[in-house]
Amino acid sequence: MTSNSTASPLQVCRDCGGGAPVDAHFCPQCTKILTISRHGDYFRFFGLPRKLNIGANDLDQRFRGLSRQFHPDFFVNATPAERRASLERSSYLNDAYRTLKQPITRAEYLLQIEGAMSGGPDRGAGAPGVNDAASKQAVPPALLEEVFALNEELDEIRGLRASGTPADQLKTRLDTARGPVEAKRASHEAGLEELFGKWDALVEAGAPDAERRPVLESLRERVLERNYINNLLAGIEREMSAPGGRGPGSENV
Amino acid sequence: MSKVVGIDLGTTNSLVAYVKDGVPLVIRDRSGDGLVPSVVSAAEDGTIYVGREAQRRLLTDAARTVYSVKRFMGRGLDDVRGEASLLPFRVGGDAGGVVRIGLGAREFTPPEISAFILRDLKHRAEAFFAEQGEIDNEVDRAVITVPAYFNDAQRTATRDAGRIAGLDVMRIINEPTAASLAYGLDKRHSGLIAVYDLGGGTFDISILRVEDGVFQVLSTGGDTHLGGDDIDLLLMHKVLAEVGWSQTAEKVQEIRKAVIAAKWDLSERQETAINGARYTRADFETLIRPIVDRTLEPCRQALKDAGLEPSQIDEVVLVGGSTRIPLVRRLVGELFGRTPHSELNPDEVVALGAAVQADILSTGNREMLLLDVTPLSLGIETMGGVMSKIIMRNSTIPATGSEMFTTAADHQTAVDIHVLQGERELVADNRSLARFRLRGIPPMPAGLARVQVQFQIDANGILSVTAHELRTDIEQTIEVKPSYGLTDDEVERMLLDSFEHAEADFAARLLIEERNEAESVIQATEKTMRAPEFAEIAKKDLARGELPRIEAALAELKAVIGRDDRDVIHDKTHALNEATHHLAEVAMNRSVQAALSGRNVNEI
Repeated sequence: MTSNSTASPLQVCRDCGGGAPVDAHFCPQCTKILTISRHGDYFRFFGLPRKLNIGANDLDQRFRGLSRQFHPDFFVNATPAERRASLERSSYLNDAYRTLKQPITRAEYLLQIEGAMSGGPDRGAGAPGVNDAASKQAVPPALLEEVFALNEELDEIRGLRASGTPADQLKTRLDTARGPVEAKRASHEAGLEELFGKWDALVEAGAPDAERRPVLESLRERVLERNYINNLLAGIEREMSAPGGRGPGSENV
Repeated sequence: MSKVVGIDLGTTNSLVAYVKDGVPLVIRDRSGDGLVPSVVSAAEDGTIYVGREAQRRLLTDAARTVYSVKRFMGRGLDDVRGEASLLPFRVGGDAGGVVRIGLGAREFTPPEISAFILRDLKHRAEAFFAEQGEIDNEVDRAVITVPAYFNDAQRTATRDAGRIAGLDVMRIINEPTAASLAYGLDKRHSGLIAVYDLGGGTFDISILRVEDGVFQVLSTGGDTHLGGDDIDLLLMHKVLAEVGWSQTAEKVQEIRKAVIAAKWDLSERQETAINGARYTRADFETLIRPIVDRTLEPCRQALKDAGLEPSQIDEVVLVGGSTRIPLVRRLVGELFGRTPHSELNPDEVVALGAAVQADILSTGNREMLLLDVTPLSLGIETMGGVMSKIIMRNSTIPATGSEMFTTAADHQTAVDIHVLQGERELVADNRSLARFRLRGIPPMPAGLARVQVQFQIDANGILSVTAHELRTDIEQTIEVKPSYGLTDDEVERMLLDSFEHAEADFAARLLIEERNEAESVIQATEKTMRAPEFAEIAKKDLARGELPRIEAALAELKAVIGRDDRDVIHDKTHALNEATHHLAEVAMNRSVQAALSGRNVNEI
């Protein structure tokens, strides 16, 4: 409800103690570079609305412009506090750029800041770095059929390889196995595009939260399915480059 | 203002450059030579030689002379065992620790050896600035280049070398990126550039987009153990197979020198001779083809990572001495479908770019900006010996990443973290950077603590780590044990050592003193000769032939004063002193007489 509020919260300049809008990069009072505030987000940082369609050229240009403003190269002779702020702000800029540049990571990020990504920030207690939850998730219902067929095919190919089938024949089988999954991915891309448009229209119209939630929910499903598909494709890729699957030259007998 | 310089610390040669009126220039010696061979030799009396002199000593005192030390930077003994076989110097160290290189009775780490080279470059620059009449000629800040594909340990080792040499290392930048900066100077346009950098020991490929003066690296790839050295080794093996493998270290170095000369020959001609037999360019190309082929796969991968087809690249830039080899040019040209650029000297272009970056950093000039990437993914060890990536390769730096940790047992107060760099799944296949112990976690039931560990890669591509316990808001102390690096204390101690036994410093100081002495003799002579009464002295007091003798000695000393040979300067200074001995006496007598008579006049 407040997610798209136009009233910017304030941050405090650590240098002069003055207040600054949360999306400002330099203190309006003392002009010093500001330390990163905890309240902003990547869209705000770039001065962009929270929309999913972003022109690649526009983002690139903003990225270069902001880099020129606070890259550590330009703060070599500044005070330690300013140097730290420049390093933090540049790192944040680079992370933000990387995230917003790809439509899919942009969508994931939006879901996260809108609080629509399930799971939350807590990952696997006890084990550090358990972040491959996506690959271990249950099969999305919409993909059951394809996944079932693919797994059967992969099992068969593994069997063939064990019995010494030439690599180029295996490759043909794998390529055929990819077909339906690739097709699914293409249809998903189209679906995502449609949802992007829907979301942007809602943002533009200043639609209430109740209207936004269902769109975010479908977006979340689509994103998870897409990640699942990508993992499947990566699995096939791995299968193809597995030892013995490359060609007669690399065969270990 | 003290001076800032850009330094290309190369495997084979090193250079120092600076910016004058917006133009980067290589600092050369009097003979016009800008290359300092990256060779260090420790004589029996403890004198350290660097550069050409050290290179000569490879043929006379090979066991005390080290070259290609860059290959050992930031590496452990286990990494380098395989390649130490043909090297004349001793390579040792503790298993799993830093490599140590034995030269005579003394042992040095690779950063210390590199520091000798850096100090030599620093002195070369200081002597140059002094000669230019600069009042403050001290060089205390530098930008140093490294291969783009250098990992954190190799970058840190390079920065340590700078510190040991008494330099404030303002920035570590990547060689191909530096080269693009030098190329970008006179070509103020936008486009996609591929920089192919095949040097003495390392290979890099970087794909950049240049727009509005921002040089943005899109992807990078390479091999930190692939270069001209490998070609030399192939040729050496060929010769040694013919003449027999048991040779003295000096003889091996002689063979090395000969095959390098043959290699250079073949870049100009179709054939040469090796070990007395005819050797054609075709033979050579067959021999080195596998090496050149090894550079092409990283090129394709870098293009793929940048999301580009070879045909989209607007310009291909060649860097590094090994790109003079026609086969390299041909294959790179074929891959990208266009003739590569090579207007700038491939040996010098990196140092020029480093000087430009040093200028940007010291002046705050915002016309150009480099945005580089981290070449390798950064991650941590997770259960089962698997690496979990936190910052992906080709991320623009500076970059951050964070990971949440918790405890596995009740009241656990510390967690061990193993930081890695690389692209492989398993921990064992990646580079171990450091092990951290997170301490001071408040005792609480298992799984309740939430420690956020923040990884920061700075603009040098170097990692730092901080940690924060979120529930109690306690900042964690982190103990860093670099896997293959020096601790801060060690670097500090080496810096002190380098002051205590600074043979190189001492030799340089002696040289400077010798030059000063020569300068003062020259000035005194010239002053006498400019004096109004000199014409009369020359006519009345000097013997026949005395004046031409003086003029000859003066000219001879002036000719050698800029040379690095202290003995020659000393001899010529002595000769001028001798030649002017009588003149000085006469002039002195005259002025004394004038003074006395003057006083007498006044007193009367």
